[in-house]
Amino acid sequence: MRAALEQGGAAVSGCRASENRPRPRRWKKVLYERQPFPDNFVDGSFLEELRKNIYVRQYRFWTVVCESSVVIHQLSSVCVFVVLWWYMDQSHLSPHRLFTYSLLLSLFGYLTFDVIDSGAGRNLSGRTRWADLKSTVVFVTFTYGFAPILKTLTESISTDTIYAMSVFMLLGHLIFFDYGANAAIVSSTLSLNMAIFASVCLASRLPSSLHAFVTVTLAIEVFALWPMFQKKLKAITPRCYLVVTLIFTLAAMLGVLTVSLTGAVLFALLLLAVALLCPHYLIKLQSSKDNIHGPWDEAEIKEDLSRFLG
Amino acid sequence: MVIKIFFPSCCSEAESGLLIGRWIPEQNAAVILAIFHYPFIPGQVKQCLEQIRALTNVEVSVLGSWNGYDSRAKEDLSQFLEDLSSIFPHDLWFQLTQGKERKSVFDYHVVQKGNKNNKKNVILIYYDQRKVMLSKLHPLDITIPEDDDHAGVMSEVFASDFATVFDTVAKCESFFVIDKYDETVIKFTHWQSEGREASVVVELVKQASVPVCVIFSFLLSFISSVCKSRVLNMWPLCFLWSKLSTCVQLAHRLDHLQTITTTTKAQNHMEFMRKANLFVSFLIDVALGLLLISWLYQKNRIGQLADALVPVADHVAKELQELLEWLMGAPAGLKMNKALDEVLGRFFLYHIHLWISYIHLTSPFIEMILWYVGLAACLGLTVALSVVSDIIALLTFHIYCFYVYGARLYCLKIYGLSSLWRLFRGKKWNVLRQRVDSCSYDLDQLFIGTLLFTILLFLLPTTALYYLVFTLLRLVVVVVQGLIHLLVDFISSLPLYALGLRLCRPYRLAAGVKFKVFQTVADKPLHLLMQINPLTYGMIIRYYRLPTYSCYPKDSWTTLCQKLFLGELVYPWKHKTEKQD
Repeated sequence: MRAALEQGGAAVSGCRASENRPRPRRWKKVLYERQPFPDNFVDGSFLEELRKNIYVRQYRFWTVVCESSVVIHQLSSVCVFVVLWWYMDQSHLSPHRLFTYSLLLSLFGYLTFDVIDSGAGRNLSGRTRWADLKSTVVFVTFTYGFAPILKTLTESISTDTIYAMSVFMLLGHLIFFDYGANAAIVSSTLSLNMAIFASVCLASRLPSSLHAFVTVTLAIEVFALWPMFQKKLKAITPRCYLVVTLIFTLAAMLGVLTVSLTGAVLFALLLLAVALLCPHYLIKLQSSKDNIHGPWDEAEIKEDLSRFLG
Repeated sequence: MVIKIFFPSCCSEAESGLLIGRWIPEQNAAVILAIFHYPFIPGQVKQCLEQIRALTNVEVSVLGSWNGYDSRAKEDLSQFLEDLSSIFPHDLWFQLTQGKERKSVFDYHVVQKGNKNNKKNVILIYYDQRKVMLSKLHPLDITIPEDDDHAGVMSEVFASDFATVFDTVAKCESFFVIDKYDETVIKFTHWQSEGREASVVVELVKQASVPVCVIFSFLLSFISSVCKSRVLNMWPLCFLWSKLSTCVQLAHRLDHLQTITTTTKAQNHMEFMRKANLFVSFLIDVALGLLLISWLYQKNRIGQLADALVPVADHVAKELQELLEWLMGAPAGLKMNKALDEVLGRFFLYHIHLWISYIHLTSPFIEMILWYVGLAACLGLTVALSVVSDIIALLTFHIYCFYVYGARLYCLKIYGLSSLWRLFRGKKWNVLRQRVDSCSYDLDQLFIGTLLFTILLFLLPTTALYYLVFTLLRLVVVVVQGLIHLLVDFISSLPLYALGLRLCRPYRLAAGVKFKVFQTVADKPLHLLMQINPLTYGMIIRYYRLPTYSCYPKDSWTTLCQKLFLGELVYPWKHKTEKQD
C-alpha cells in the first residue's frame, strides 16, 4: 500500500511536472475512464469509508439480567419436572393427587391465557375452544391407551442407561429451545420432542401404568403448555412475568433441596452464574469488539417485503 | 503370387484326365473336386458342367489337366494339352503330373493366358474330401449367434479363407452322390465314385421318420391346445402353475418335443444341431428317469419313503418349536421386550401347531400320492428333480409363511421409524421434490409422533431378531431349491449330441485346419496335408448350449443386502421369461 501511495505520489508529481496536461488530474474511484494511474492505485482517501463498531448495542446490566430470566425459567422447569418424578418414584407423592393438582393448574392457566390480552391473541390465531377441547381429548386418550405399553417398554434395559438417555435428552431440550433468539440452532420441534422422549424414558421406570400416564401428562404441561403461557405473559406484562419467574425458581430450588443438598447448592450456583455472571461478562466483552463496516458489506434488506408479495 | 491347389487325396490314384473344380480368385486358391477321365467329347463335358452347376450352385469349371503315373505317351501330350487349354478357356491352366518314383509327389506347370512365361509358386494341399464335406467350420472370432435367422448371414460375412473351401466341397454333396454304377456319359473320379455306402437301417428310419413326426406333432399340438385352454388358465390356477416348478419343466419339455417333431427340415446347421441335441438330451433324460423308477419301485422303497416323510416333518416342527421357545427367553443374552416377545412367540407356535395337525391329517394318503407322483419320473430325470423341489417347497411352506410375517412386520417398523425420525427432527419427506424438507407440525402431531417413535424404537430389537431368524431359515430353503434348479438346468442345457459327435467323429465340428508338411523335395512344389482341427469341448458347450429358462440371481449382492436390511420380501432366483441361448 505504501508502494502504491508512493507510486501515486510520484505519478501525481510526474503529472505536475509534465506540461502536457493543463492541470493535474485528480484520481477518481472509477475504472470506466482511462486515467494516468494504474488500475490498483488508491490515493490518500484509502479506507476513509471504514467504520468501526457502528452497530454495537449498549447493554445495560439489569436489562440483560431481566432478559436472562428466560433461560432461568427453562432450567427451573426441567428441575421441577425431575423433582416431581423423583417424588413419585419414591412414593412420596401419589399419582392421583399430582394428576388432580396439575389438571387444576392447567385449567387455571388456560383461563388466564385468554384473560391476559382479553381475547386478542385467540382472535388473531383463529383457534376455537372446540379445537382445544379436541386436542385435549386426543392427548388424554392416547396417553392413557399407551400407558401400559410405556410401562413395560424399557424393562430389560438397565437403569443407568435410562438415566443417561434422559439426561442427554433433557440437555438437548435446553440447547435447542426457542429462547427468542434468531439463531440457526433453534428448533422448537426438536426440543419438545426430546423432552417428551426423556419423559417416556423416565415414566417407564415407575411402578404402575397410572404413574406412567401421569408423568407423560405432566411433561406435556411443563414443557409444552407452560412455555406458551410464559411467552404470552412476558409479552403483555413483563413485571408480572418477572414475579412469576422468581416464585417458580424458588419453588424449584426448594424442591431440589428436599432431594439433595449438593444438588441444591449446584443448582443455585448455576442460576447465579446464568443470571449475574453471564450478563456481566457479556458487557465486559463489548469493549473488545472490533467490527469493521464499509461499502464492501453485503446488502441487507431491512424492509419487510411482505407488502409486495400477495 | 502364391497359388494354393487343394487336391483330394482320393484322386491321387486316378487315371489321367481333366481337373474339375472351382477357382477362388480372391484367395488365389483352386479347389479340385473331381477328375474327368479321357476319352471325352468337349461338348458333353460342357453340358455336364452345366448340369453340375445347376445342381449344386457352385461355379465349377475345368481348371487344368492331370497326368497320372501310368500315362504312356508323353511326347505329344504337350500339344494335346495346349489344345485342351484353348477348348476350355480359363485364366490359369494347371498341368499336374504325378511323379514316377513317388506317387504322391507332383510336378506342375501353370499356364496363364497371355503371359506364358510367368513362373508362379504353387502350394499343393491334400485334403480328405469326405471329411471336409461332412465337416462344419466354426468361425471363432465372432460372438455366439443370438438367433437362428442371422447365423447364415454371419457365416458369410466373417468367412475365413478355409470357410469358402469347406463351403464349396459341402455344396457339392449332391454331385458326389453320382457314382460309377449310374449311367453317365463321362467317367469321373471323386471320393464316392467307387460306390455309395448306405445302411438299410438308416434308410428305413429316414423313411419312417416322416409319418412318425406327423403323428407326434399332431398329438403334441392337441396337448398344448388343451393346456392353453381358458379353463386351466383362470387366475388362481395359472398362478399355481407358474409357481410349481414341475409344471414349468413339463411345459419346457413339451416345447422341446414340438421343436423336435416339426415336419419341416432344418434350414441350417445350427437348427439341425439344436434339434439333434434336444432329441438326444430328451432320450437320455427319459432313460435316466426310467432307471430311477425301476430303482424306486423295487422293494417297496416308495412305502419306506412315505413312512419316513411324516416323522421328518414332525422333527422339523419340533426343532422350530424349540427355536421359538429359545427366542421367547433371553436369546444370546439380548434384551427383548417381554410382552412383545410372548405375543409373537405364541402366534408362531400356534401356526406350527396348525401345520402339524395338517400333516398328520394327510398322512394316510401320502403313500398313494407319492406312488402316483413317482410315476411322473418316466417323463425324465429333470421332471423328477422338479417334483423333489416342489415337495421341499410344500413341506417348508410354514417357514415361508413365518418369513413373510416377520418381514412385513419388520418392514412396517423400519418404515414407521424412518418417517417418525424425520418428525422428531422437525422435517418431512417432500414427495414432489423427492427430498427432505422442514415442516412445522401441530402440537398434537408432535406429541403422538414422539410417543410412537419411542415405542417403535424400543420394540425394534425384538422384531429384528425374529426377522433375522426366519430370514436365515428361508434363505437355507431357497439355497437348497436353487441348487436343484441349477442341476435341472445343467442337465437340460447340455448339448449331448454335439459332445458325442466330438467324441466319435471329431472332424464333423471343425475349429480350423492344421497343416502337416508332407514332402519337401527340391525343385518340386511344397506338399502339405490338411487336417481338420476339432473344436474343444469348452467351445462346443459354449456354442451349442441349449436354450433354457435358466434361473440366476436377480439382484447383485449389494441390492440383496439392502433389501434384507429394509425388510423387503426377497425372491433371489428369477426365471427368465424368454428363451436365451
